[in-house]
Amino acid sequence: MRRVLFTGAATATAFALTAAPASAHGLVGRTDLPIPDWLFTWGATAVLVVSFVALAALWPSPKLQNHGWGPLPAGLSRVLTSRAVDVLCGATGVALLVLVVYAGYAGTNSITANFAPTFVYVGFWLGLVPASLLLGDVFRAFNPWRAIGRASGWLFSRISPSGPEPLVYPKRLGYWPAAVGLLAFGWLELVSTSGDQPRTVATATLVYSAVTLVAMTLYGVEQWTSRGEAFSVYFGLFARLSVFERRDGRLGLRPPLAGLPSWPVESGAVALLAAMVGIVSFDGLSAGKPFNDSVGPINTWLRDSLGLGAPDALTVIFAVGMVAATVVAGAFYVLGVAGARSVDRGHSTRELARSFVHTLVPIALAYVGAHYVSLLLLQGQAFGYLASDPLGNGSNIFGTADWTIDYAFIGAEAFWYVQVGLVVVGHVIALVLAHDRALVVFDGAKAAVRSQYWLLGVMVGYTTLALWLLAQAREG
Amino acid sequence: MLVLAHAGHWLAQLLYVAPVVIIVAWLGVQNLRDRRAGKQDNQKGAA
Repeated sequence: MRRVLFTGAATATAFALTAAPASAHGLVGRTDLPIPDWLFTWGATAVLVVSFVALAALWPSPKLQNHGWGPLPAGLSRVLTSRAVDVLCGATGVALLVLVVYAGYAGTNSITANFAPTFVYVGFWLGLVPASLLLGDVFRAFNPWRAIGRASGWLFSRISPSGPEPLVYPKRLGYWPAAVGLLAFGWLELVSTSGDQPRTVATATLVYSAVTLVAMTLYGVEQWTSRGEAFSVYFGLFARLSVFERRDGRLGLRPPLAGLPSWPVESGAVALLAAMVGIVSFDGLSAGKPFNDSVGPINTWLRDSLGLGAPDALTVIFAVGMVAATVVAGAFYVLGVAGARSVDRGHSTRELARSFVHTLVPIALAYVGAHYVSLLLLQGQAFGYLASDPLGNGSNIFGTADWTIDYAFIGAEAFWYVQVGLVVVGHVIALVLAHDRALVVFDGAKAAVRSQYWLLGVMVGYTTLALWLLAQAREG
Repeated sequence: MLVLAHAGHWLAQLLYVAPVVIIVAWLGVQNLRDRRAGKQDNQKGAA
């Protein structure tokens, strides 16, 4: 979430970009590291190359493509998958949705004192990422739109048992609606000049809810949730990295990473992953000095040549920047895949792009984790006081309204190491997934390894970009 | 002149790109080797 304050002054530099407290993933301040920032990039590259060599030598056959699964104890599984828990989680999700809308309209205009912006941009958008990674697809249980859709469907079937069946989901749509939904959220978060205002957040929530419920009515709740609903698809992808998996109504455990290779890839999958990486990349880029140094002249040019007002010009710059970051992230991946094709011309670039696209999920996770870990851990503490005073009107429901955020509980240096660690681990996981898939796609281990030279290049490129963006944000 | 004056800053930024350049160069060399090896295999097969 970026707060853009337009000062209204008449000069070319009559604007200021300030990160609102809730948006400041650059909360990690400048610190004196024992070695230069760029050397971390070299170290990360060395780790990737060593991992690549180790995989080539020690991973001769695919291990993740057809994974095993063991059920949890029947009693525990029965409780966790019970109708009562399902209804309770769904009702909680709906209650939070209502609270966001209510707080957005009825609460204070202060961004940090109102529950709505912090919940949407920190609790929901960021908090559900580690929750999905650790616990599996928790958003599926708490998804308020799915809960409303299912409850409505149940009610409708009681009233009219012979009601119309939902439409067949068009194959060509695939994950495109989810990709567009994520970009729309990115626009609200990074491009819109009022995207962090409580009222805007509430309105956007209502608009998204309306679109989602109409789509669910047309295509059915589960069809739309699994492919078209942006957040279900987004968190669902991260949940595939977890060890928990539900099969035939039972909850069980699968090997780590084994959930991703079985992700059903459809049309728009590459665009979706490109959007996941691109949105975060642009957030990092826009917080850095090189971007902010160039915004001024471009803003002036847009105002002089197109006659735009300064806020509109700024919106155009940020919108183009976010889309460009998404296109570049996707193009870089496709370039690597096209290179891998040189090993075996029997596969088309499109086919290979779909085969390996799941390897971008841990990269997207690394980007999200590294860019927002500080925001989640610091601004997440705001829920202490927001729980007692969600509207920011001075109430003190649980007696915690006077809690504050401890910005010093983790040092800037510690954050940097966590960020570097997340980036490296995410890309090593991506290498593992790509290597395992290559062993299936290409004939023989040698061809598989040769194909991975190119994807190693992609991983090194993404790693370098991630660390450069983090370093820029620290200095910006 | 402005570019030259900030050369130190830009050179420092280039240090980030160095690993990518090295990997891409290695990819190019490896690709050439693979093509040569492939051609030699084809010639042996034809003989």
